[in-house]
Amino acid sequence: MPEFFKQKKLLAVFATMALLAAGFIWVLLSSGPLAKIKIVVTEVQEQRLEPALFGIGTVAARYNYRIASNNVGRATTLNADVGDKVEAGEILGIIDVVDLDEKINAQAALVERNKAQLNEAQTRLDYTGKQAERYRKLLPSRSVSEELDASKQHEWILARSQMRSATSELVRAQAEHLGLLALREDRYLRAPVSGLIIARHIDQGATVLAGQTVFELIDPQQLWIDVRFDQAGSMLLAEQQPTQIILRSQELQPHTGYVARLEWLADAVTEERRAKVMFTQQPNPAPSIGELAEVTVQLPQLASTPVIANAAIMRQAGTLGVWLLDDQQPFFQPVRIGRSDLAGNVQILSGLSAGQQVVLYSSKPLTTNSRVKRVKQLADTP
Amino acid sequence: MQAYGIKISNLSKTFGRGDTAVHALKEVNMQVEPGEVVGLIGPSGSGKSTLLKCLGAIIEPSAGQMYLGDQLIYDNGWKISDLRALRRDKIGFVFQAPYLIPFLNTLDNVALLPMLAGKSNKEARQRALELLTVLQVEHRAHALPSRLSGGEQQRIAIARGLINRPPVILADEPTAALDSVRALTVIRTLNDIARDYNTAVIVVTHDDKIIPTFKRLYHIRDGITYEEQGQGREIL
Amino acid sequence: MISLAGRDILHAWGKFVFTGVGLGLLIGVTLTMAGVYRGMVDDAQVLLDNSAADLWVVQKDTLGPYAEPSNLPDDTWRAVANIPGVANASNVTYLTMQVSSASGETRALVTGIANSGPGSSGWPLRLLAGRQVSKNHYEAVADIASGFKLGDSIQIRRNRYLIVGLTKRMVSSSGDPMIFIPLLDAQQAQFLKSNDAIAQNRRRISQNPIFNNPRNPEVLDAVLDLQESNTQVNAVLVQLKAQAEPKQVAEDMRRWLRLQVYDREQMEQILVGKLIATSARQILMFLVILAVVSAAIVAFIIYTLTMGKIREIAVLKLIGTHNKSIISMIIQQALALGIIGFMVGKIAATVWAPFFPKYVLLVTQDTITGLIAVLGMCVLASFVAIYAALRVDPADAVGG
Repeated sequence: MPEFFKQKKLLAVFATMALLAAGFIWVLLSSGPLAKIKIVVTEVQEQRLEPALFGIGTVAARYNYRIASNNVGRATTLNADVGDKVEAGEILGIIDVVDLDEKINAQAALVERNKAQLNEAQTRLDYTGKQAERYRKLLPSRSVSEELDASKQHEWILARSQMRSATSELVRAQAEHLGLLALREDRYLRAPVSGLIIARHIDQGATVLAGQTVFELIDPQQLWIDVRFDQAGSMLLAEQQPTQIILRSQELQPHTGYVARLEWLADAVTEERRAKVMFTQQPNPAPSIGELAEVTVQLPQLASTPVIANAAIMRQAGTLGVWLLDDQQPFFQPVRIGRSDLAGNVQILSGLSAGQQVVLYSSKPLTTNSRVKRVKQLADTP
Repeated sequence: MQAYGIKISNLSKTFGRGDTAVHALKEVNMQVEPGEVVGLIGPSGSGKSTLLKCLGAIIEPSAGQMYLGDQLIYDNGWKISDLRALRRDKIGFVFQAPYLIPFLNTLDNVALLPMLAGKSNKEARQRALELLTVLQVEHRAHALPSRLSGGEQQRIAIARGLINRPPVILADEPTAALDSVRALTVIRTLNDIARDYNTAVIVVTHDDKIIPTFKRLYHIRDGITYEEQGQGREIL
Repeated sequence: MISLAGRDILHAWGKFVFTGVGLGLLIGVTLTMAGVYRGMVDDAQVLLDNSAADLWVVQKDTLGPYAEPSNLPDDTWRAVANIPGVANASNVTYLTMQVSSASGETRALVTGIANSGPGSSGWPLRLLAGRQVSKNHYEAVADIASGFKLGDSIQIRRNRYLIVGLTKRMVSSSGDPMIFIPLLDAQQAQFLKSNDAIAQNRRRISQNPIFNNPRNPEVLDAVLDLQESNTQVNAVLVQLKAQAEPKQVAEDMRRWLRLQVYDREQMEQILVGKLIATSARQILMFLVILAVVSAAIVAFIIYTLTMGKIREIAVLKLIGTHNKSIISMIIQQALALGIIGFMVGKIAATVWAPFFPKYVLLVTQDTITGLIAVLGMCVLASFVAIYAALRVDPADAVGG
């Protein structure tokens, strides 16, 4: 019995010691400088990248009509409101200039008066002309003095001037009359094109200033997206390139479109390039103006090069490169990288060739002395 | 066999000094021949433990002489520098309680001293086993002290006292915790050893069961020893 | 020769192991405390490491961007990039905020990174899964400590971001996980108020006749636009050319651009010396006390262990055992206890460290120091026990 007891005890002693030692060795190997760094390795692929450019923009109307009054006046009638569809030439409202009719009447009277004055001038011209002719005829017979003849000639000249003056005055008054009539016609705010009222800045009865916008009108069939792209990588951007458009209100339903215009003016502050993208088919229901849209432009396919995931690229002492494995021993290989696509693939211009094994992920910073262990993945990936 | 024995003359021991001085031993004279077992009896406080401690070189006497065999170890002062070596090599102790080392088994308890002294474990254990055989406890050689009976433990303690073949054994109430049968067995063992190894044995006791077995006795009373003849009864 | 210590330990193995485990847990706590302190300092260091910058350009007279708010116009980097010695300069924004996803919300340091490609300063140094940000909007790389997963959609202010990559140990100086998003989005997020606030603000401005002048309706739009756009960043991270002298380049920038520039050393000084100084010292103080308490307990345990055997020691002395044997027994036991305790402590600290909400960094240096301290402590403690053992009178074994 004591022997047995002793053996059991020895067993317990060895078991505890083995357990402790195992635990300690596990601790030493799993953490600290002796621990292996877990890495995930990937292969360099030879591939033709299809780069794409991602930008965000807002839905805008291609044409935006601001309808303003030319006069200072009161908006007596406003026929249209936001959301109304209007036809070209339709009267949207009337701006009433308070004393316009009276001014027209006064101007009409002035025209009549000028006509009378013209008549009077004509009569005087006829009379002085006849008188001057008669005295000129009498002059050779010395029945009138030369002085009297000169005086009659002078009266005739004056009458002619008066006649011209009266004619001009009449023309002026008539023109002003017409101007006022035209002004009266202009109190009608007319739609320049068929479209949709998107804003009415004043309400009925309000006074408007000359030049103040009353209505804003757009053509809802002519929507496009004002997109901003990062300047980097926008070199290959060109008109007519196909795009994918995701409207914020319709996140799950992408639309197609094309680059309609590349702006010559870039945004120097945000370092972005601007472009306009049209829908190939206008979404129905139409998006609201100013809605956020994500636009992805598919750029032309690039030449085939070695390609790696951008997660593999590290900077070591100021140089971009990747970690390669030489018989389980990592070493740093500087590379030159080219363009990349939106899926995170990067062209390798030099430094790598297809089929090489590069370190994609590592649990700790690698050095050339690191001991590594390859694993399938370092974090749960869905 | 060497003619070892114990001889004490005019030994005294005083604790403290001045007015508070306690004279535990006043005048002790004793002589024990090799091969002889002598009883030392006396009432509590008579000084028998103090005497034993002096003899065992555990405390220093105040005056007198002590011989262990032919060797003068005390003459108004220690004559030997390494008392612990003296204790280890010349004296075997057997105490009231066995005071075995609980974490060593019987064999190693007995063999401990030579093993610590650098003898090979095998040799020491061999010797220990011999002693255990003599004391008839060899079957318990691998048991831990806590598993032994009181008599067995006491015999192990005796074996430990004998491991270095000391010329002197000092036993302090070795039978106090034992019933009469076991007590007598222990005394017989001590007698056997004294005879077989020519050892001088002093047994301090006030146990009536064993007092009649001594051939010679020393009484100690108020620090003074008186020699008397014992009954020397045979132990059956 | 027989090992008294070994036999004693063997005899009372259960008790010995339990004492060792108890002691070990205490040592584990001490090691963990050291780890917590190292972790705090490391949080500050990795923030600097992760920015991969040689110089930090911030608003004049601030300790930005980590310790103090700092704002710079976002075209400052062009001027910075023109200073001789600069390899590249990139904008960065930092904003600590609450980030929510379907699975919950977390406090994070949202970092806006310039669109300059992987490996640039400010970008995540390396990933654990997924990929780096490749669109310049609405993609995010999050630290795994945030609890977000690949493919999660998170909400920062008004916009939703898709988690495309995960990092590890990318944290702020206070240990919050970092979330990297494109700079333009971050600038917007930093400034963007709630829609209600914006609406209120618009109403307020539109009631002000100076801005809302009927004669010039464009003014209102311009003012609102100005109010709602943000062209500020928090710092410009600068990487230097290999041969450039950081102090010199920094001095040039201070002199000609009138901006505050910090190099790595100064930044560390700010983060470790100023930002986390008090909390780190707090932990350090606690660590010191814990170490002292542990030492006292070790001493006490060994003293008690020895005192439990004082009778046996007295017997050993009585029967003539050398002091040497007794001393070696006590010291061997103390060391054995220390080694078991240390091993248990190290295992315990390693096992429970990952469960701490903030980073616990167990440095090898600390472990070795800990081992030496524990063993030294055990030896020291056994001196007390040895002194007690040697003072035991062998006469005590004989009794009265």
